[in-house]
Order: sequence, then structure tokens, then C-alpha cells
Amino acid sequence: MTTETVSYATEAAPRLEWAKLVPDVYKAMIRLDTAAKQGLDHKLYELVKIRASQINHCALCIDMHSKDALAAGESVERIIQLSAWEESRHFYTERELAALELTEAVTVLTDGFVADEVYEKAAKHFEEAELAQLIAAITVINAWNRFGVTCRMTPGHYQPGAHK
Amino acid sequence: MTARTTRLAPEVRTAMQSLSAAAKRGLGDPALAELVQIRASQLNRCAFCLDMHVAIARKEGVSERRLDLLAVWQEAGDEVYDERERAALALTEAVTVLTDGFVPDEVYETAAKHFDEAELAHLIALITAINGWNRLMVARRIPPGGPAW
Repeated sequence: MTTETVSYATEAAPRLEWAKLVPDVYKAMIRLDTAAKQGLDHKLYELVKIRASQINHCALCIDMHSKDALAAGESVERIIQLSAWEESRHFYTERELAALELTEAVTVLTDGFVADEVYEKAAKHFEEAELAQLIAAITVINAWNRFGVTCRMTPGHYQPGAHK
Repeated sequence: MTARTTRLAPEVRTAMQSLSAAAKRGLGDPALAELVQIRASQLNRCAFCLDMHVAIARKEGVSERRLDLLAVWQEAGDEVYDERERAALALTEAVTVLTDGFVPDEVYETAAKHFDEAELAHLIALITAINGWNRLMVARRIPPGGPAW
């Protein structure tokens, strides 16, 4: 058997080490993250974070949250199917589907608002305080995505559990 | 339109306020901060944030003309928005519309020419924070003028 050496593209350094440059901002983000995840189911939150990060094309966040989800006992299958969840609904609960639908609507605001149907479906599955936390959580992962993409943070080095 | 009654946890609200305050303080240009926040709120169609930041911009002395033309700043010419402001607005649009794909090198590098690293990091934080507020307000359908909580 011969071993083939694969030559991958060169890894690029981040554009901007924002967390080191502006520790006040980083601290506020950590505080916000902690506040938003209170009372939310951990596995559900990871699914939400992975889906938003897919939509926003944040490589670092996909790396981090796929690994965290796996470490939390999530199945490979449910993570793989996530980018096509509308076609693979039987992998998820109705509650998870409502959360994913809300995640997409709140993430893609530029296409127009959060439809009543989407909001009301989520409101059926989540009581008010929990729904507020879910909206906050979607908002926070969108914020991490913006730092990750804009500063072009390098994926691949995350160790699961490092950011709990 | 149906009202939505999702109250935010106070901890979420205060953490968001700290994020915005840190970003704005670090950028150190109140008029530009409002232009950025208005433009992101236009793109994200957030009525509450648009109403609020246009009012603050007026208080900061931003002219009616600069407010009126903000949605079409690219066509408005250098005499309305200077190069630094244009770099910040281009970055605002790229960071707001991530779903269309990444933040182009050209946009990032133009911003990096006009803002030093700490200013740039604070500007990115400000764009991120207003994107956060836009999401919190649109998702809960907060009407212009509030109440926001």
C-alpha cells in the first residue's frame, strides 16, 4: 500500500485579532453569550448555532459548534442533515424544527422580517421566557458569526469544550 | 400587525447595552456611529432601531441631507460622505449581509486603511451590536418608539 501525500491549500492567518485588540468588547460578548443561553436546552442551542453559522458562512463557528455538539452527544447524522433540515424533518423533533425555522428567519433579516407563521409556530413550542432566550441565542450566534467572518478567524484548531 | 409579547431577560438587555457602549466609545466618532447603525437598520428593516438612530443622529448634528441620502450613499458622492465614512458604510453592508457571502478583501482593506486596528475592531463590534439589536427588535416586532422591553 502506498501512502499518498495530500497537499492542502495554505492556512491563512486571521485578519484581525479582535478579542485581544478590544478586550472590553470581548468581555461584553462573553457576558451576552452567558446571558442568552440561560434556560436553553444545550443540544438544541448547538443545533441553532450550527445552522446560523452555516447560513452566515462562519468557518470558525461551524468548527466550534459541530465539535461541541458531538462532544455533547449529538449524532453525526443530525449534524450532517442540518443544512437540509427541511428535507430531513424526521431527524428532528417538532420543537427543534420550530427553533430552526425561527433561526433562519432571524438570521436572514435582509430578505424581510420574521413571518407570523414562523414566530407563532415557535411560540407554540416555547413558553414566553424560553422564546425570549431562544431569540437572544440566535442573536448572539449571529454576532459571533460577524466577528468570525469579518476578522476571518481560522477554523480547525478548536478543542471541544474549550468555550463552555 | 399582530403584536408579539416576548420580553427579554434583563441580563440579555444589559449585556447588549455594554457591547454597544464599548463599541461606540472605542470608535470615538458619534456621528459616524449613527450613520453605521442607521444603514444596518435599513438593511435589516428594523423600524424601532431606524427611528431611534435617526433621532440620535439629528441630536449629534448629522444633517438632514446626509440622513436622506444614506440608503443610496454609494451614488451620493464624496461631498456627502467622505472616504472614511464610505469605507465604514461599505464594511457595514458587507458585515450585515453575510448570507450573500463573506466580507470581500477589498472592502476590508479599504476600511483597514482608514481605521487603525483598535478602531476597526470597535467598528466591527458596533456593526455586530446593531445587527444584534435589529434581530432582537424585528423578531419581537417592537414598534418604532417602543416600548422595547
